[in-house]
Amino acid sequence: MKTHSTEIVVLGAGPGGYAAAFYAAEKGKTVTLVEQSDRLGGTCLTVGCIPSKTLLHAAKLLTEAADSGFRGITFGTPQIDLRKMREWKESIVDKLAAGVAGLAEKRKVKVLYGRGYFEDSKTLRVESQEGQQFVTFEQAIIAVGSRPAMPDAFNLGNRRIMTSTEALDLDEVPRDLLIVGGGYIGMELGTVYATLGSSVVVAEALPSVLQGADQDLVRPVLRRVEKLFKEIRTGIKVQKMATAGKQIMVTMEVEGKSREELYDRVLVSVGRVPNTTDLGLENTRVARDERGFIKANERQQTADPNIYAIGDVAGGVLLAHKATKEARVAVEVITGENSTFEHIIIPAVIFTDPEIAWCGLTEQEAREKNVAVEVVKFPWSASGRALSFDRTDGMTKLIVDPETERVLGVGIVGSGAGDLISEGVLALEMGATAKDLAESVHPHPTLSETIAEAAEAFYGTAIHTVSRRRKQD
Amino acid sequence: MDVRLPRLGEGADSGTVASVFVRVGDQVRKDQPILELESEKAVASIPAPSSGTVTALHVKEGDQLKVGQLILTLAEEGSSPRAPVPTIDASIGDEGEETPAAPAAVPVVQQDVALERPVFEELAGPAGTPPPASPSVRKMARELGIDLRRVRGSERGGRIVLSDIRRYLERLQEAALALKGGAAVPASAVPAVPPGPSIDFSKWGKVERKRLTTLRATISSRMVTSWTTIPHITQFDEADITALLVYRKKYAARYEKQNAHLTLTAFALKAVVPVLKKYPVFAASIDEAASELVYKQYVHIGIAVDTEQGLIVPVIRDVDRKNLFELARELQQLAERTRQRKVAIEEMQGGSFTISNQGGIGSGHFTPIVNKPEVAILGMGRGAVKPVVRGKKVEQRTMLPLSLSYDHRVIDGADAARFMVDLVREFESFEDADVRLSS
Repeated sequence: MKTHSTEIVVLGAGPGGYAAAFYAAEKGKTVTLVEQSDRLGGTCLTVGCIPSKTLLHAAKLLTEAADSGFRGITFGTPQIDLRKMREWKESIVDKLAAGVAGLAEKRKVKVLYGRGYFEDSKTLRVESQEGQQFVTFEQAIIAVGSRPAMPDAFNLGNRRIMTSTEALDLDEVPRDLLIVGGGYIGMELGTVYATLGSSVVVAEALPSVLQGADQDLVRPVLRRVEKLFKEIRTGIKVQKMATAGKQIMVTMEVEGKSREELYDRVLVSVGRVPNTTDLGLENTRVARDERGFIKANERQQTADPNIYAIGDVAGGVLLAHKATKEARVAVEVITGENSTFEHIIIPAVIFTDPEIAWCGLTEQEAREKNVAVEVVKFPWSASGRALSFDRTDGMTKLIVDPETERVLGVGIVGSGAGDLISEGVLALEMGATAKDLAESVHPHPTLSETIAEAAEAFYGTAIHTVSRRRKQD
Repeated sequence: MDVRLPRLGEGADSGTVASVFVRVGDQVRKDQPILELESEKAVASIPAPSSGTVTALHVKEGDQLKVGQLILTLAEEGSSPRAPVPTIDASIGDEGEETPAAPAAVPVVQQDVALERPVFEELAGPAGTPPPASPSVRKMARELGIDLRRVRGSERGGRIVLSDIRRYLERLQEAALALKGGAAVPASAVPAVPPGPSIDFSKWGKVERKRLTTLRATISSRMVTSWTTIPHITQFDEADITALLVYRKKYAARYEKQNAHLTLTAFALKAVVPVLKKYPVFAASIDEAASELVYKQYVHIGIAVDTEQGLIVPVIRDVDRKNLFELARELQQLAERTRQRKVAIEEMQGGSFTISNQGGIGSGHFTPIVNKPEVAILGMGRGAVKPVVRGKKVEQRTMLPLSLSYDHRVIDGADAARFMVDLVREFESFEDADVRLSS
């Protein structure tokens, strides 16, 4: 039996875990990183953000090629080689995972590939192919993430019923694809499959898809997917599924009546559940909430003084960049800094076509919380840059405190919104006012100008739109 | 509408204006903080009693305010003045311990005022939004333990920048050092003794009351700090200055001609240097936050000067690099300027040791209080002629009473005894060459 001791053990090598391990190593700690799969990078890198974005890029290429006839460019019917596309996607994932492993080596972070199990608050047992080994630690950071939820009613063990993980494997392009759950994962993967040729039906239980985003930001996306998808059904309850030869028989409740439909494949994207079982948490003082997420405070401390939790497993929004930020907080708290995850702006991006991105207060939240705000919008139809590539289906809006003129939230829908939102994050973190944004010169012709124009609209001085005049100062 | 200072809570009837949050012409909402007041108990923000426009401002930062005093004039919105009911706003109902019915002494409050929760009141801002400040400023505030909701931002939209934090800290520091509103206690971290009850001494005869001066308040606060945080020990001894006095008599007139008064203090400055160099801990300071002892490569010595208003301790720099004449001359000039209250704050800072000479007045041993952040102080009494046994003979010698108080946290008794023995030897070993003017 091998035993080795380390100052910090990090369990899980996703964007939270590897960030924590590297940062702790930079701060002079001896660090052991434990990963149960054979690749570093976690969900984000291997079965999440990165592979889905590569496939979405392929979809974008197809769409642009198909939509270029009016520009005087016509392509032949595209030939799609799924095997090659998979290999291309995997090569990107492999490159990134190897990069993470290389960084670990450079920082002298010891990586153990195996499953970690807490024996007590000081010891982690790691089961690897080479056998068992015990790691004694001073502090542990749990970053084991989450996995796609698969309700029992759908869990038939049939590979035609997929979660996002299998959908990203791209086994085939099914003729009829049902997507259960119209959240961002369902809508993004629906875009990929629909563009590749599937007839996609989305079934969402709530009254609208893409909950959480302001509905005016969702509208341009809906306008496109309504054409791209066969159907988007909201307020639908999927009751059960059954294997029917090479298809799946799905029973749904549509307008009070049960209806049965056959699909070649089903993607279940109804949320994610934390990976908190079989970790040996019961041997520690770590507490979980009723949904299984580890309870951690704003300093990422769990109920066990030696153990911290970050990322998806600690609940909150399940986003890679939130995990990475929490990793820094946890390490800083461990190394004695007065750090806390409070008032931190976490931007959200939905990689549909067009993209939706927002940060800070949304218009919907302002209404719910009864916060007095002024909302200013700049439609991309007034942006020369958007016109130049025929994507004027966008909008940039600012949520502004009318008293102090401070920017409280930024929302963008449009091509590349995910990259544009960072300026909003910086503005919010810096406590910037609309005036600060309006007075910062934005380069022409770029989409970033829409942010400055929206800010100017607040003062009634936008150049490319006409809005009512506001008090001048 | 005239907005006056509401009653702040029991026992508190005055305070110093720490910040004013509004300007003439500003629109204010009901309950929006209009100023922040530091009383002896806490810092409280004073809310606007109703919404309206500020038409006149009658106070500024640093002003002393009493309950009922006029703060600002407000043109109310609309024309529905509220009934002037001198009650306390229901919105602070959770301040259960407040007793609105307490002393019947405040008839001045003209409008219903919200009695403010001390210290932790949030400034305006949408629910849940932190005060506007960059991440680096927020991080610094967190490290310093500053609640940014209490810092007024100077940038657009009330954004808080580094200089706002600096200003806020300066204000806190001033507040900690100065006594406010008369019989208050220092708002420093010292475990403050609650102020004693006000006693009516005139019951027993005629009295006269005088307000404590700022200087007296500062002395008071610093003495309390030193006395309550430093475990003091005082070591006594006597130095035979018979020989020293001979040199003094011989050269005093020559010094005087060059505007230097050859005092015992000047000799003491000269005597103490080699001893401080041998035992550097006596000139050190404790960095309590860092748990470190700070040894200084310089010898700056504070001199306690008796002024009409009270004790002031200016500092003579680089004592180890000056001869007796230079020290005597500087001492005389410094004492003179100190009595005229012409020394700058900086001239009173940076000392590594202090000498307090009462010899000019008389008296013998006493127990001086260490001048924090220093760790030791030398008290000198008046030299007296005494019969001293030398060998087998009794001789008349002039003996100088020396009292060395020190911080027992860092200085052990044995070291203090060694220091004293060496210091006595230094007083007793002055030679003609040490005193003689070089030119």
